[in-house]
Amino acid sequence: MNKKKRIGVYICHCGGNISDYVDVEKVRQAVDGGDAEIVVMAKTTMFACSDANQREMVEDIKANNLDGVIVSSCSPKLHMLTFRNVTERADLNKFTYVHANIREQASWAHSDNKIGATEKAIHLVKAAIAKSRYADALETNKIKATKTVAVIGAGVAGMKAALSLAEKDTEVILIEKENHVGGRVAEWGSLFSSTETGKEIIDRLYAEIVRHKNITLMTNTEVFENKGSVGNIAIKVRTITEGTEKLTEYTVGSVLMATGYDHYTPKEGEYGYGSTPKVITLPEFKNMIDNQSGKLMHNGAEIKNIAYIYCVGSRQSEGENTYCSRNCCTSTIHAAVTAKQKFSGITNYHFTRGLRTYGKQEILYADSLRAGDIYLQFYEDGIPTVTNEGKKTLVKVNDVLTNNREIEVEADLVVLVTGMVPRANSTIGTLFKLPKGRDNFFNEVHMKLRPVETVIDGVTIAGACQGPKNITESVNSALSAATKSYSILSKGELETDPLVATIDPEKCTWCGACEAACPFDAILKIDNGKKIIAEINNSVCKGCGMCAPVCEPDAINLIACSSPEIMSMIDALV
Amino acid sequence: MSKINPAFNKELEKYGSVNYNACYNCGTCTAVCSLSTEEDSFPREMVRLSALGLEDDIKASLKPWECYYCGDCSTHCPQEANPGELMMSLRRYLTAQYDWTGLSGLLYKSLPLSIAAFILTFVGVILYALSVDFDELMEVGHLFEGIAIATIGLVILMPNIARMWYFTILKPKVNVPFVKYIHSMGELFVHMFTQKRALGCDDNQLRWFEHFILVIGYLSLLFTTVVLDWFGTSNLFVIILGYVMSAIVFVVTVDFVLSRMKKNKEVSKHSQPSDIFFVVWLFFMGLSAFMVRLFIDLDLLEINKWLYIFHLTVLVQWALIIVPFGKWTHFLYRSFAMYFAKLKKA
Repeated sequence: MNKKKRIGVYICHCGGNISDYVDVEKVRQAVDGGDAEIVVMAKTTMFACSDANQREMVEDIKANNLDGVIVSSCSPKLHMLTFRNVTERADLNKFTYVHANIREQASWAHSDNKIGATEKAIHLVKAAIAKSRYADALETNKIKATKTVAVIGAGVAGMKAALSLAEKDTEVILIEKENHVGGRVAEWGSLFSSTETGKEIIDRLYAEIVRHKNITLMTNTEVFENKGSVGNIAIKVRTITEGTEKLTEYTVGSVLMATGYDHYTPKEGEYGYGSTPKVITLPEFKNMIDNQSGKLMHNGAEIKNIAYIYCVGSRQSEGENTYCSRNCCTSTIHAAVTAKQKFSGITNYHFTRGLRTYGKQEILYADSLRAGDIYLQFYEDGIPTVTNEGKKTLVKVNDVLTNNREIEVEADLVVLVTGMVPRANSTIGTLFKLPKGRDNFFNEVHMKLRPVETVIDGVTIAGACQGPKNITESVNSALSAATKSYSILSKGELETDPLVATIDPEKCTWCGACEAACPFDAILKIDNGKKIIAEINNSVCKGCGMCAPVCEPDAINLIACSSPEIMSMIDALV
Repeated sequence: MSKINPAFNKELEKYGSVNYNACYNCGTCTAVCSLSTEEDSFPREMVRLSALGLEDDIKASLKPWECYYCGDCSTHCPQEANPGELMMSLRRYLTAQYDWTGLSGLLYKSLPLSIAAFILTFVGVILYALSVDFDELMEVGHLFEGIAIATIGLVILMPNIARMWYFTILKPKVNVPFVKYIHSMGELFVHMFTQKRALGCDDNQLRWFEHFILVIGYLSLLFTTVVLDWFGTSNLFVIILGYVMSAIVFVVTVDFVLSRMKKNKEVSKHSQPSDIFFVVWLFFMGLSAFMVRLFIDLDLLEINKWLYIFHLTVLVQWALIIVPFGKWTHFLYRSFAMYFAKLKKA
């Protein structure tokens, strides 16, 4: 470690966010020329992040020949990257930059105590100066990346993602567990807002896929092994056709997960499911209306009055599925309207918990109202009951839209509007260590800003494996995930953050504690020729530091958070 | 326990309802209504009962009569479900339900039948008029008015009011002590002669005033012709009173007829034949009565007896079709509704 000799410090007013409570001039005086005179320059500034100040910083660094820069301002989450880039523009290594947070940690936190806030700010800046003396110039790591993507799941999301990647000259291995492509969409006939049926959409995509030279489609195939990391992921797949098993190995740069969802299966007796033959689920009903013509029949009887009970298996307050399944309101109304058009004499009774036909789907709801569909509403504490009286099946509810009046409908068919649940078979998620949310669907890194990435580098998610989505939304996320996977591999090499853990081979005794502590699977057990030791996989390590404190022989150091740095900061603070 | 009857909307369409099924229960109509109160809220509730076809509840409700159709609800409805017109069609529907003869319903629902009834009465009057001499015709004409009022009142209107009472008070088992019937009686007459509730509608003062003048004019004209024998009298005061009242009736009615033709207000956008007949016949009645008396004064009536026959035809049609089975009844039902509503209040 080269200790720095010439450090520049900026203390930001943040308009007044900081300077209203922290005496920034006092902070400046306290650190200027301090620490054995290595602080050669200290300035206050109204807005450190302003363009003018950034330009001034570049000039200052060059004019004063600085080798370390500190900005004392807001949270590093907000502007650390901004100032790293400033130092880079002034021909300094960006990792020599050190950030001090005197807004969230001083002025905002202690707005009731200006003197204390100023004192704390001085300590924080001094700690940053101490750290800055050790902050080394670092280089990002570069790894070769294989320009192939494994797309797992050939439903509508996987198929669209595969095509999108293939068009960008990326090899795609499209892996499907079933013997046919298309997933759930292949099950559907008529769809809302499209003239094509689900089957036709899948046929079209399938034709494009088999024609595309960049796509290798493997049906009846499952992934059973996963090794390596982003850029170079080695997967092994097993294909079973007519009883014979074939194993294949691929190296891919990224994995795009599009494994879809399962239909919620009502519990035995839930709204009479299983015990009353007139009670069926929405997917069963959709098949009925797609496949029948003339009269709508069920168990040999003609259907006239249909009761739809919404939110079965969704929006549970007791139970796992607290979420809304998003597509079922629209799907049900579409099916009801279709049934009414296709078969004569149908009356639809919708027992809802409030409709969610958002966006353009609202038009469908309005149409069905005008066509005379009856909508009744209940809350979760007053769900409808399905009872049998002789040959009659009665659905009763206290309708909240009619002063909680008890309303009864004699139904020839009761359709349970079942929602989406995560795949019962979770082996693929476990294999790739994909984290799941509270609802047990795969989790993205950030719902709004990083919606298709997972915390596992190189693994993206698309479609309903992430949570309930309709076809439009699934395809949107598929195209987005395809672009994300492509952007990882497009240059053929990857840059990774140098802020990772390091192992001192002399001290390491391989106890395995670090491997157990690592949440990212970044610790490898290797034989370095002399002994068994731990090694860090730099492309996977996030520099989180979980391994360092559990290492008994103190063989692990975190770059940029090394023991001398942290100790010197503590000295400055206390 | 209530059973839904989705077929009800087809029935109500025949009474003039428009697209109320489009309602998604947002309640904007009720929120903008200046007559709706927290305890007594409409029209959403009535739209809902209609959508589900809960006929017993509709028959037991006085709310359709509590609405004076300013049209704000229909203007603001995001679904264009026309709640105002729904309330109007419910008034027609209820009129038909109250009528024990069932003729109201038939006439409301069928324009050809209504026209046939008008033609039938017309032919009847002509045949009779041609079979008697003119003096006798005038005398019978005058006599007819008194007899018709008494008969229609006793045979049709009073039983119908009793049915309205049965549907709204007795059948829903509302317990009303007898003294309350006496104490609340004032409500009945106040509303009958002032329609003051309509003043509660926003921006409706002019319409209320017009309507008020018309009611006063109509009732006074009725009194002048039936009791004071306007066509037979030589009392100058009665003669002038008759001229003024008949003039009020046909002049004010012109505005009602024009607005129904222009359809420029929410209230007149969906006028049914029964609404048109009502205002047009009122206009003819006022105008023809005015002309008849004028011709008498100018001594021209003997040579223009067709004018009197026209007047008599209008009168007979009015008395035998529009009063017992048509829109005229709203005069009674609205005031009785306010009376019954008062009885229902704790």
